[in-house]
Amino acid sequence: MKSPVFRFLRELLSRLHDSHREDAVALTQVEMQELENIFALLVLGSFVGLPAPPSFLAVELLPFMERELKIMSRRAEDAGDMLAEMCGTLGID
Amino acid sequence: MTTLIILIGLAVYVVLYFTYGKKLERDVVVATDTNETPSSRLYDGVDYIPARKEVLFGHHFSSIAGAAPIIGPALAMAWGWLPGLLWVWFGNVFIGAVHDYLALVASVRYDGRSIQFVASDLMGKRTGTAFYWLVFFLLVLVVAAFGAVLGGMFVKTPAIASAYLWSIGAALILGVLMYRVKMNFTAATLIGIVMLIASIILGVEFPIQATYETWMYVMFFYIIIAASIPVNVLLQPRDYLNSFLLYAGLILGLAAAVFAFRGFEVPVFSAFAPVVAGGKATPFWPAIPLIIACGSLSGFHSLVASGTTSKQLAKESDALFIGYGSMFTEGFLSTIVVVACAGFGYTALQNAAAAKGVEFTLTAANWATDFTPVSGKLGLSAVNLFVQSYADMVNATWLAIIPTIYVKVVAGMWVAAFAMTTLDTTNRLARYCISEMALPLKGTSEGLYNFLTNRWVASVIPAFIGIYLAYSKNFTILWPSFGAANQLIASIALMTGACYVHSKLKSRFCNIAVIPAWLLWVTVTAALVWFMAVVLPGNIAKAPAQGWTVMAISVIMLIMNFIFITDFVRKYRQEMGSSE
Repeated sequence: MKSPVFRFLRELLSRLHDSHREDAVALTQVEMQELENIFALLVLGSFVGLPAPPSFLAVELLPFMERELKIMSRRAEDAGDMLAEMCGTLGID
Repeated sequence: MTTLIILIGLAVYVVLYFTYGKKLERDVVVATDTNETPSSRLYDGVDYIPARKEVLFGHHFSSIAGAAPIIGPALAMAWGWLPGLLWVWFGNVFIGAVHDYLALVASVRYDGRSIQFVASDLMGKRTGTAFYWLVFFLLVLVVAAFGAVLGGMFVKTPAIASAYLWSIGAALILGVLMYRVKMNFTAATLIGIVMLIASIILGVEFPIQATYETWMYVMFFYIIIAASIPVNVLLQPRDYLNSFLLYAGLILGLAAAVFAFRGFEVPVFSAFAPVVAGGKATPFWPAIPLIIACGSLSGFHSLVASGTTSKQLAKESDALFIGYGSMFTEGFLSTIVVVACAGFGYTALQNAAAAKGVEFTLTAANWATDFTPVSGKLGLSAVNLFVQSYADMVNATWLAIIPTIYVKVVAGMWVAAFAMTTLDTTNRLARYCISEMALPLKGTSEGLYNFLTNRWVASVIPAFIGIYLAYSKNFTILWPSFGAANQLIASIALMTGACYVHSKLKSRFCNIAVIPAWLLWVTVTAALVWFMAVVLPGNIAKAPAQGWTVMAISVIMLIMNFIFITDFVRKYRQEMGSSE
């Protein structure tokens, strides 16, 4: 039989576990974002005039890049506003 | 008394969370779940993701909790235990938590943008740019103050230094297990915890003895290397391990404080102006926010709140729990520090004197003048006093089954881990600040711009200035200057919050934000002027180069401070004019 106390404790532990899991991956996400940026830059390079793979490859890959494009354009908007994000990810004090 | 204060502290926080906090939520920011938050409105599965509130609380709290809420209250024992405790509680409830909460809410309502973006938008571009300068100086002073803390602690208790180095090894192995071998998460975590315990044991068994100067060199190279390698190699697994240390330290401390049943040894109140900063009489007002920084309020929290946290907030109603609640938890951590030092600090000092074979003359009568110098001479200033008192507090309860040296190393590792994390993350942030600050040079002096923004140069600059300042061993100068920079950022962030509440929300209760913003600004400005006029000249006489560096930084910060208030008042007047 599961008492409410037991349920509460189980819930508490699972939330703690989730919280730790978040801690474990938070910074790796930043690393992944950087890699994504580089990938997008490589694929979409021809648009910004950087040395890049052949344009046909870029065009062929473009439909798969819709989500990345949206994210990239938002990031470009936020690019001058990174300090807080870095503080949030790295933590200090 | 220890138990009583802990329980009163708990009651104060719970009651004020549900009264004052809820009032803020209801009447000032008017939080409503009908407003969609950026995490769902701008959902992209990468930056903007709604997170469960407990998860986000854990993430936010581990980002804002560090070594500073431990060091400040221990230093403030010079006033006696009550003034420091009252400032922690008062500052926490009415200023610090309001500041964190408003920064979070303002950022959420600005699509998850940072507080300096909100500040630029509300108060003018100049304020936003000045923010970077202030943050950069804060980072340099963080390296200096925390470097001095760590150096002092490693010399005093070599086991902590050794345990800490072993734990770096543990973190590197955990990083490989988690991200290279891709081991099961729970299994890797368990191995990580076992390695963490092993590193504490190894630290106790094989302490590393070195001089203060040697540790400064070690730190200088460590922070440059740690800031330059990919985050998943060292930073990520180490922070993950540290979070266990934080919760273990908090739970152990709470349990010990509740069951210690001990009277306070430290006087309730010593004097209005005891000797604290730079060997000078330090008046409680305005100097207290320079000494107790993050325990009661901290400007850095606004950056964390408006950085990753605001992009993951699922509902506006979660913001109080996360922004306001995390700050309360940090204040509670400082309360534990006060209880440990007040209950066990005097005996710790007495024992240290006996161990050194020196006469112990500290009494309640000469506490104001002698506490800081005596604790410094006995090697038990600030963090060392906390480490010893914490270990004694745990030892005074049924938790005494854990040998004292292990508790001491755990407490020391707790502080060291956070201080070290701060040191290398500081360098990453400073690198970013330098690139932003050097931007105007791009058009005029391309070569200098490229030199300054070079990955290694930008890493070395803050590390070098910081460690150079720490080399002077002048902790009681460096700590207040770090406090001043941090509180200045808090005062701008709070003004931004006040401006937001006043101009965007038109709240009737906007004074809840405007009054603390003014109170903080006046206090920090007065404290900075006092610090420059009274404390720094003495320091300049002792160590001219380092003294002048701190003076130059303080002057620039003071100028920034007046820029901010001018912008704030101008904006406030404009709003008043338009609303009439």
